[in-house]
Parts: sequence; C-alpha cells; structure tokens
Amino acid sequence: MTDQAHTYLDANSAPAGGPAWLDTRRRAARASFVDAGFPNRRVEAWRYTDLVRLLAKTNWVPAEQKSGAVLLPDGCVNPFATIPSWILVFVNGFFRADLSVSSDLPEGVEIVSLDEALAAGTKFEAAFDANGPETIAPITALNAACARDGAVLRVGDGVHLERPVQLVHYTDAEQPIATHTRHVIELGVDASMTLLETQIGWGGAYLADRVSNVTLGERSSLTHLRVEDEGPEAIHLSTVLADVSVSAKYEATTLALGGLGGRLQTAVRFAGEGAHAESNTAYLMRGTQHIDTTIVVDHAVPNCTSAALAKGVLDGEATGVFQGKVIVAPHAQKSDAKQMSNALLLSRDAAMNAKPELEIYADDVQCAHGSTIGEIDGEALFFLRSRGIDEETARRLLIGAFLSDVLELVPHEAAREALEQRAHAWFETSRNGGAVI
Amino acid sequence: MLEIKDLHASVDGTPILKGISLSIGEGEVHAIMGPNGSGKSTLSNVLAGREDYEITSGSITYKDKDLFELAIEERAAAGIFLAFQYPIEIPGVTTMTFLKTAVNAQRKARGEEELDAVRFLKLVREKAALLNVSDDMLRRPLNVGFSGGEKKRAETLQMSLLEPSLAILDETDSGLDIDALKVVADGVNALRTAERSMVVITHYQRLLDYIVPDFVHVLSGGRIVRSGGKELALELEETGYANVGESAA
Repeated sequence: MTDQAHTYLDANSAPAGGPAWLDTRRRAARASFVDAGFPNRRVEAWRYTDLVRLLAKTNWVPAEQKSGAVLLPDGCVNPFATIPSWILVFVNGFFRADLSVSSDLPEGVEIVSLDEALAAGTKFEAAFDANGPETIAPITALNAACARDGAVLRVGDGVHLERPVQLVHYTDAEQPIATHTRHVIELGVDASMTLLETQIGWGGAYLADRVSNVTLGERSSLTHLRVEDEGPEAIHLSTVLADVSVSAKYEATTLALGGLGGRLQTAVRFAGEGAHAESNTAYLMRGTQHIDTTIVVDHAVPNCTSAALAKGVLDGEATGVFQGKVIVAPHAQKSDAKQMSNALLLSRDAAMNAKPELEIYADDVQCAHGSTIGEIDGEALFFLRSRGIDEETARRLLIGAFLSDVLELVPHEAAREALEQRAHAWFETSRNGGAVI
Repeated sequence: MLEIKDLHASVDGTPILKGISLSIGEGEVHAIMGPNGSGKSTLSNVLAGREDYEITSGSITYKDKDLFELAIEERAAAGIFLAFQYPIEIPGVTTMTFLKTAVNAQRKARGEEELDAVRFLKLVREKAALLNVSDDMLRRPLNVGFSGGEKKRAETLQMSLLEPSLAILDETDSGLDIDALKVVADGVNALRTAERSMVVITHYQRLLDYIVPDFVHVLSGGRIVRSGGKELALELEETGYANVGESAA
C-alpha cells in the first residue's frame, strides 16, 4: 500500500515552488498519506470502500488546464443551470474565469480561485492543517498534497447573499486523469448564503477529488446543495470539513447518482454552543456503481443539534455504504444527534452496508441512530396498480416518495425542484448500463 | 358483467377457494357474507389480480373477456375497482398527486384524453365536497395519518373519480363507527347506477342496512353455501354462520 501511495504521489503531487507555508504543508501531507498507506479494506474506516481496488489498476496522471469553449455532451447536465447565481466553473479541476460569472458581488463578498488567492499572497494554513477525523483524514492529506486549484469564497459579517453561488465542476477525461480541488468557504458573523455544487463529467476513467473547508462564524447559516453526477467510469471523493460556531447552521443535501465509485465524506465539528448541522443524502445507483456516505459529527461543545439522513436506491449489482459516527465530548451536555440510513434494494444482487458508531462521553444527551434495508412494498405496488397505474409508473412513484424525505428538506425551492427533476430523470436512463448517462 | 365458474384458488399450496360459481349482472349489488377465513378476501383479491394467489382451476369472465389475461392495472382500466379493507398508506405521495396519476393512467389506457391540472382540480373538488374530504386531506400523503373514516372516505372518493363498472367493497365497514359508516355508505349509494355492479363483502349484516344488496351469498369453507335475497342477511344475523353450511348440505 505504501508503494502505491508513493507511485500515486510521485505522479500527481502538486509541484513544489509555491509559498513556503504551503510547501511545508504539502510535504507533511505527503508524508502522512504515505505513512497511512492507500486506504483499503484492511483499514476499518475503508472496509467497504477499497480505494486500492478502485484506483490501483490505473496509471493516473494529473489533469491539465483546458482552454476554449466547453460543450457539454448529451446527458451531462448542470441541474442548477437555470437558477440565477454567481457561478464558478472548474474544468478538469482548474478554474475557468472565462466561463464564470462573479461580477456585481455585494460588498463584503469575495470569490476568487485558490490559485489567484495564493498568487495574491493569501495564506490558508488552517485549511491545509485540518485533516479531519481519522476516518476521512487519508483523503484530506491526499488532497492537500495534490490540490492545485479551487475556490475561495468569503462572505463578510452580516452579509446575506440573495443569490446562490454555484461551483460547477466538469471533467472531460480523454485519458485517466486525476483532479484534486480544494475549496475554502468562510462565512462571517450573521452571514448567510446558499451554495450549489455540481460534479459532472464525461469520457473514460478519471478521479475527481475535492475537499471543502467550511468555516461558519457565529449565527451564520450555510445551505449547501450538491449533485454528484460524475461520468460513468469516474471515481469521486467529495469531502466537507465543517467548523460550526455559536448558533450557526450548516444544512447540506446531496444527490448522488453518477460515477462508478464514490465516497461522500462529511466531518462536522461544533465550535460553539447552540449550533446545528444537518447532512442529508439521496442516492440512486445501478449497474456496478458504488456509493459510500461517511459522516462524522463531533459534538465537542454542549447544546448543539445534528442530523444525518441517507436514503437511497440500489439496483443491479450496485453497492451502498453508510458510516455514521457521533462523538459527544464529556462536557457536551444537551447534545442532540440523529443519524438514519434507509436503503431500498431493487435487485437481489444489490447490497448495502450500514455501520453506525456512537462515542458518547456525556450523560445528558439524546442520540438516535438507525438503519433499514428493504425492498419496494409489494402491498403499495399492488394498491397503486389496482387503481390503474402501470407497474413501472407505480415503482417510480414509490421510489420518488422514498427519496422525498430527503429532497423535501431542501429549503431553496428552485434548487429543490432541480434536484427532484434530476432524480426523476434517473428512471429515463438505461436500466442495464454500467452507469448513469 | 361478471361470470365466475368453479373457481379454485390456493395460497402457498393451501386451497382457499374450492369451487365458487357466481354470476353478476349489470347494475346488481351482491353481498358476500361469511365468517373469518371463509375466503371472502381471497375472492376480492383474485378479482383485483393480486399475485399471491394461485388459480388452480375455474374461470372468470368479465365483460366477455378472460379476466386472468388482464394485468392488475388493465383490470382497473377495464372498470374493476377494489376498495381495500385496510387502505395502504403511501408516505411521500400526496393524495392529490396519486388521484391525478390514477385517473389519467386509466384515461390513457382507455384512449381518452388526459385531464390537465385545472380540469382535474375542479373535478376532484366537486367529488371531494360530496364525501366531506377536505383540501387538507388532499394535500396530505395518501392515507398517512388519516383516521379509519377518512381512509374509507378517501377510498370512496377514488371510486367516484374512477367510475368503475364493477366495484368490490372489501369489508368496508371494518374500523368504522356508525357515523363514519353512514357517510361512506351514502357515498357508495350515490354511486349506484343501473349499469354499475357492486360486490359488497362483509362479515356483519350491519353494513347491509345501509348498502342494501339485491342478492346475498354466504361463503363458507371456500364455497358459496347459500344464496338468496336481502332477507338472507337478516336471517344470518339471527342464527349466525354456524348452521348455514349444514342446512345447505
């Protein structure tokens, strides 16, 4: 595993010669990744998502900058495209100013690419120091070592962004390329905004890895909506490290349907009392797709609430994983944490693994976790058909209803509709193909 | 309209229906009574097409077609409606969405034009008002959190929207108090026409005070052991089911 880690880093590490603070951290990240080895099934946190198996066969090379117009192929869609937003577009992991829209930003808001910010001398020491909990740390280290670009988004104190900001990531892989992107998102005191993210891609195999460092100031509020809809042979790793301060709110909903293999990692750490974090996921997988939702919530301080709901549909030979962990520190009384995983298996060959973990050191807390794995309710199907609804429509209605628990929680109406439409379009794509699109 | 001949059906290899023959004409209301386990619900489920039952012999002809050739949804489009004893809860699907999907699915199957949102809303509001189904119920997920009476009213609303030729009411009285029962029975009676046939399945005679049948059949041990007019129901109320089978034998 160490050899593989070396080989990968030799080919894909970001070149040295950046700012000294960054070079130091990249070296440390490389050492840390090599030390732990490539995440694989022998490591408990990676038991169900073996990155060696998913990545080892391919000789990944760093993606290169692409210029010129980008024509999205059929079936490769940004579902949020019609929502008026400030848009940052990344092609093969690099920011494309010519395709982005970030003019007329209100005062107190800064949106630039990581590359630009670094060139301007801005330091992101804390972001590159944060590895997150052990479960997800190998990927944050890998990303720190390899990330070359990303978005820096800062919303100043008291600013409420009326329009969402969109980060659109498109990968076009003519050969097996790896992209590593690092976003830094900071909301000041009383700031609020909606962040929409889309991951789409086309071509052959590629690796799309992105890590977002989210820091929420007191009473700030971030609604974070993501569509993970990578190309059919893509491996995607998507990590959020959220630091949530006093009375701040982090509310995330992710719809995952693309890629061959993927892991969505979320680590929330409460940095102040009265904060709330919510991370919900809806996934639709078929063929030999694999999706892993891993969430770690650290109730490091008292009086915070957290919730995680993952609901998904697995058809064909698709596999799903839910790893949910809640940590409640000894003095973090009145913590309230809920985690739930519900999977709907549409085929006998689909499989789901759910692993809840609780580490609770305080006594006056409420923690609930649960997991269900089931199939479409035959009674409900019979009922709908007995009213004249054909079997396929009835199944779609029931699957849509199953996912609605997650999607109806999305507070942004236009985005909610976009997510629902994208989920619904899943049915229109091939039932037998290896993956979506 | 419906012709059942020597119908035998099993569940998991256990015979439940053991030779049922029944003929239902246009506009007739037939009550099927019988003790628990006599095969009443099996008969209604076989008519609607539930797949857990194995038809071992016999035939059912509906409007001159072999009913067994039709899928569940095709039977519905052809006018068969089963009102469930225990209506299913469907979280995540609002009653309104469900009703519109069902009505338009049937219209499409029959080659009729689908109703747009405006026309559909008008139609539902009209029919819902007659059954005391509130806008709130229409907005809620189907049957979720509905009381027993609300569920049966929702079933009756479906029936009134789908306008079946043959309605099968499976123990519609179960779970209803007398007031709720009256509301549902009034709704059903309003749907009685010279063309529409009904099969009313019930354990108790009480329901038949409100939905008065033309014929009453007694089902016992998977066979119809007695048939008669509506007065047979009253007789059963007096004597119970215990002796019916013997007196027929």
